[in-house]
Amino acid sequence: MFGLGDLNLTYLVSITAVSLYVSTAAVALSAAIGLPLSLLVGFRDFTGKSAVTSLISTGMGFPSVVVGLVVLLTLSRSGPLGAFELLFTPEAMILSQTILALPVLVSVSLSAVQSVPQDLRDAAFAAGGTSTDVALLVVREARYGIVTALLAAYGRAISEVGSVLIVGGNIVFSDSTSFTRTLTTAITVEARKGNIETGIALGAILLALVLGVNALGARFRDRTPGRNGRGR
Amino acid sequence: MTAGVPGGGASGASDGSDSASTGARRSRTRLAARGLSHGFGDGAVLDDVSLTVEPGEILAVVGPSGTGKTTLFRLLAMFERPDEGAVEVGGDDVWDLPEARRLAVRRRVGMAFQTRSLFSTTVEENVSYGLRVRRPWSARVRDAVEGLFGREEPSETVEDALRTVGMFDKVDRDAGSLSAGEAQRVAIARALAPDPDVLLLDEPTSNLDPRNTAAIESAMRAARDRGIAVALATHDMQQARRVSDRTAVILGGTCIESGPTDAVFESPDDDRVRQFVEGKLVY
Amino acid sequence: MAIERRRFLQAAGVGAVLGLSGCTGNTSPTEANNETSEASGGSQSEGESGAARELTLATTTSTYDTGLLDALNPVFEEKFNARVKTISQGTGAAIETARNGDADVILVHARGAEDEFLREGYGVNRRDVMFNDFVIVGPADDPAGISGMESATDAFATIAEAGATFVSRGDDSGTNKKELLIWEAAGVSPSGSWYREIGQGMGDTLVQADQSGAYTLSDRGTFLATQDNIDLEIQVQGPLKDGPTILKNPYGVIPVNPAKYPDVNYSLAMAYAGFLTGPEGQEIISNYTANGSQLFFPNALSEEPQFGQYVPEDYDGGENASESSASVSDAQFESWVAQHVPEDF
Repeated sequence: MFGLGDLNLTYLVSITAVSLYVSTAAVALSAAIGLPLSLLVGFRDFTGKSAVTSLISTGMGFPSVVVGLVVLLTLSRSGPLGAFELLFTPEAMILSQTILALPVLVSVSLSAVQSVPQDLRDAAFAAGGTSTDVALLVVREARYGIVTALLAAYGRAISEVGSVLIVGGNIVFSDSTSFTRTLTTAITVEARKGNIETGIALGAILLALVLGVNALGARFRDRTPGRNGRGR
Repeated sequence: MTAGVPGGGASGASDGSDSASTGARRSRTRLAARGLSHGFGDGAVLDDVSLTVEPGEILAVVGPSGTGKTTLFRLLAMFERPDEGAVEVGGDDVWDLPEARRLAVRRRVGMAFQTRSLFSTTVEENVSYGLRVRRPWSARVRDAVEGLFGREEPSETVEDALRTVGMFDKVDRDAGSLSAGEAQRVAIARALAPDPDVLLLDEPTSNLDPRNTAAIESAMRAARDRGIAVALATHDMQQARRVSDRTAVILGGTCIESGPTDAVFESPDDDRVRQFVEGKLVY
Repeated sequence: MAIERRRFLQAAGVGAVLGLSGCTGNTSPTEANNETSEASGGSQSEGESGAARELTLATTTSTYDTGLLDALNPVFEEKFNARVKTISQGTGAAIETARNGDADVILVHARGAEDEFLREGYGVNRRDVMFNDFVIVGPADDPAGISGMESATDAFATIAEAGATFVSRGDDSGTNKKELLIWEAAGVSPSGSWYREIGQGMGDTLVQADQSGAYTLSDRGTFLATQDNIDLEIQVQGPLKDGPTILKNPYGVIPVNPAKYPDVNYSLAMAYAGFLTGPEGQEIISNYTANGSQLFFPNALSEEPQFGQYVPEDYDGGENASESSASVSDAQFESWVAQHVPEDF
């Protein structure tokens, strides 16, 4: 009952799937918000820019449990967004993971886009590019750093436990399919039960996933041509 | 360059079908600066500069380094709006045009820079960049998707532009692997590929060896022979004399003399120009 | 109207998130999609047959980690065409979740905190469900020498006197509340380097106590379930094995008051309470064992009226009736033990 035999395949597959789903969606959302934001912060001047920058660097070290509590209060039925009934759903977890992953993604991709020389942006503009074209070129030139940013954000999201435990509720249905239980929160359950070996086995799966995602990212980075370019 | 016809007429070279232009025989427009003044918080100031680049000529803008040539060229390329004066293409003040029209006008002007400015990709993709951004988004998305499944052959336009600078054999190379001179030649091909009316070259040969310099000067002549208006910013008096039809001399942010190159070099009106031409004025 | 708009917004929000994740090729959008549509559809068609209805149960880690709920919930789900979303927390956190309206029903074990919850009006219709007991566990060599003591308070006082290491949950759970109650009864306010509050679950606490040769208070169920992984031994038994009654550990089920939160699934919560306290649920509880030992003793079924379970323990019905209600409930507990726990347990 409490050994490794407790972890049937359905359970393992579904907590892994929830982990991947929540982290992937959170990183996708973070990228959709974070990449334009880093381009904006990187190349435009606007009022409140320094506030945004310091918010990003503060957000990097923000304790995930605090994020979890804030999201909990916000999504709770007695909270401001209670009407959406999102607490204890994967979507709530995606929200808190996005808040956690976004600063990581923005700060890494910001330094990546800022390292793209002005000359290249000028060249894109002079070749007839619109500001959108210039932004796309910057993303392309900074792709190595941006992939690193995505991986860093993914790493933070998938290995995070504090906030998903709080806002997800760690729910598994009675047929062993996970609703809001991830690999990390499953590990806390095993730790709570004193099943250290099972927890470590789950940790190994998590590690394998992170390794796989990183290998995928590395493959993408290494395959793209010209990454050694623009030597001066 | 194939069968260039000297004397400023249209050339027989084919303009690629990808190009937004209408073909080799269409009329070219001129580029003019009217009383341009521009300043930054620190240094580099232009004061009331007027000049014109006509189709089928090379205008050399000479002057010592730091005298405002780069600022002038950036204004001509419409990077930013001048504090005073106008940049005119085909008679229109570009900054009076609505944004979409200004983009269309801007796309008739190509530019290459003094510093290395190639994108981190292949030579082919660098040269075709200007053509690609001119395509509608639907076509660009389709190209990007198709690009995932293998690379297409370079278009004739790209081939032609690379031949003009003598770099066709490097079409598949990674831009990062090129020497400084080769990179500059590819950058000029990138500016030429969309068949611009005006080509702005800001110190294109500074610090380059004679072989690459010669290739770039030959590309300038080829462009002129196609009817393109070429403006060359240079601090190299010998180069100006070698390639240009007309010369404008900029000193301290002001155009102090302009006219046919021979006249400027042999009988300058301004004493400072004479000193500069004779190499006695050193900045 | 308001409800419909809310559903729409929820669906739109969820749809947006799912749509986005769909683009990125995630692994289980369909699954999540099904569940959310069931969630909204379920609440709408409450009381009708058709789509499964969802019940959010906030409970303590002891009911979950022992596996008891894995035995109970599938039967309930089958019977009521429902789906139980179990959130296992400490008792304090579970009550707080329900207090915010984020759960439909709670199953917890801290009578004092339950009473407060009832008194504030957040819970209604409390029922006793089952009980087991707490045990004081410690290293085999028993450095403080408490083995076999008949009083939990004496044992705690001895531990404090000896300065033997004691690991406290420190997480506002039912066990933690009970532990503090015993310290208070022992007249000791635990402090000093021998007393460690770790803010973790029961399993973590047992493991840590095991690793550091310390004493701790554990519910019998979790201790039995964890026994294989640790070397701790029971030093003071609970009332199930003739130990002091103060170590009693009664569990109660409380639906959340629908007058406070109209969106809670009250009828299903009442059905759940009915299931747990009915013959079927009680039998499952009675038959549930771990490591060959019965973990929980059902005590909901009784031919005699037991009014005390519905209201706070000290509730006097508006009159100044019972000064000694606590001892009344202790007496009731002792009679349960006599009735339900076999002699040879």
